[in-house]
Amino acid sequence: MNKFSQILGAVAAGLAVFIAAWFFIHAGHGGSTSAHAEDPAVAAATVQPGGAPIDSSKCILPVEQMRSSHMQVLDKWRHDSVRDGNRVYVNPEGAHFEKSLNTCLGCHNNNPMFCFMCHQYADVKPTCWDCHLSPMEVPQ
Amino acid sequence: MTMNQQRREFLKKAGLGALAGLGAAAGLFPAFALEKTDPSSFTQKPTPGKVRWGMLIDTRKCKQNCTECIVRCHHDHNVPDLSGTKNEVKWIWKSGYEEAFPTASQQFQTDEVKHRKVLTLCNHCAEAPCTRACPTEATFKRWDGIVSMDYHRCIGCRFCMAACPYGSRSFNWEDPRPHVRELTAAYPTRMRGVVEKCNFCSERLVKGDLPACVDSCPEKALIFGDLNDPNSEIRRMLAANQTMQRKPELGTLPSLFYII
Repeated sequence: MNKFSQILGAVAAGLAVFIAAWFFIHAGHGGSTSAHAEDPAVAAATVQPGGAPIDSSKCILPVEQMRSSHMQVLDKWRHDSVRDGNRVYVNPEGAHFEKSLNTCLGCHNNNPMFCFMCHQYADVKPTCWDCHLSPMEVPQ
Repeated sequence: MTMNQQRREFLKKAGLGALAGLGAAAGLFPAFALEKTDPSSFTQKPTPGKVRWGMLIDTRKCKQNCTECIVRCHHDHNVPDLSGTKNEVKWIWKSGYEEAFPTASQQFQTDEVKHRKVLTLCNHCAEAPCTRACPTEATFKRWDGIVSMDYHRCIGCRFCMAACPYGSRSFNWEDPRPHVRELTAAYPTRMRGVVEKCNFCSERLVKGDLPACVDSCPEKALIFGDLNDPNSEIRRMLAANQTMQRKPELGTLPSLFYII
């Protein structure tokens, strides 16, 4: 009798493990539906020859906003342009810009300390310049 | 009975229980027995109405000693010049006929074709093995058929290099920047420890320009266009000429075609 209840207990434990695993797999699966759905609008926008007119004569956002959140802006730009191929940024005023570091560096090339001075002061070491060419390295 | 034996017995029975549960579930809910596989999510075969960039290389027109396209591509993309070393990085290069088409019949091939240099680059396969091998999705298939690289995400594991049957990928064993002949500000360099390859000039396509190699070819031996558009020049050329693909038997469905 003791032996039988032991077997029963083990089988019940196995069933419990199975049911738990079942729910775990399904919960996990439900949450992981593809986030990489292709966006036909993006495709249509980017294959158009010429693209949108690019205005690079002014800053994309107010200075205060850029100082506080340029990293989020650049991170978003990176994702949009590299992964989605969406290279046109429209700022709140409706001006169009190319999502590229070169959009910033196109104007901010006179001051060789653009980027560097603040980063040095704040002691942050972004890895942008491992690959991207800074205005200090290449005359624009 | 020792402790270990008891544990072994317990695990055996627990396993049996789990198996019984699986069997019961499969019997009770046949539709949910196992995770459903949707084969349509795997296939990346050409879809009409969607752009699929492709290239046709006319090896008859391609001048044997000409390297215009290679020079232009490597200049525009800041590809380091490490040619001749084991650290070589290349996006586009010339291979011998036999290396380019190792599985094509070599028997009684004319000497001229046997010694012909064939332009080789990333095939931008419709069924790209490299994108499957990449553990970080640093290399991925774009909506327009281009196999793209996100260098920000590459961890340098080189699985993609092992997966690519065409040797189209290079690894940066050392900092490439000192080896770039003339830096181009319009395109970034890479850093040590990432894989790089041809991007079909996606940075030019977005502006409506042809890829640099196509643009620079003095013989107009490269034809670029949308393989999904039956009226495109490339499709008309493909319909009018006998063409080859590299290692077609692998089922990678390359977007590059060759006229021999």
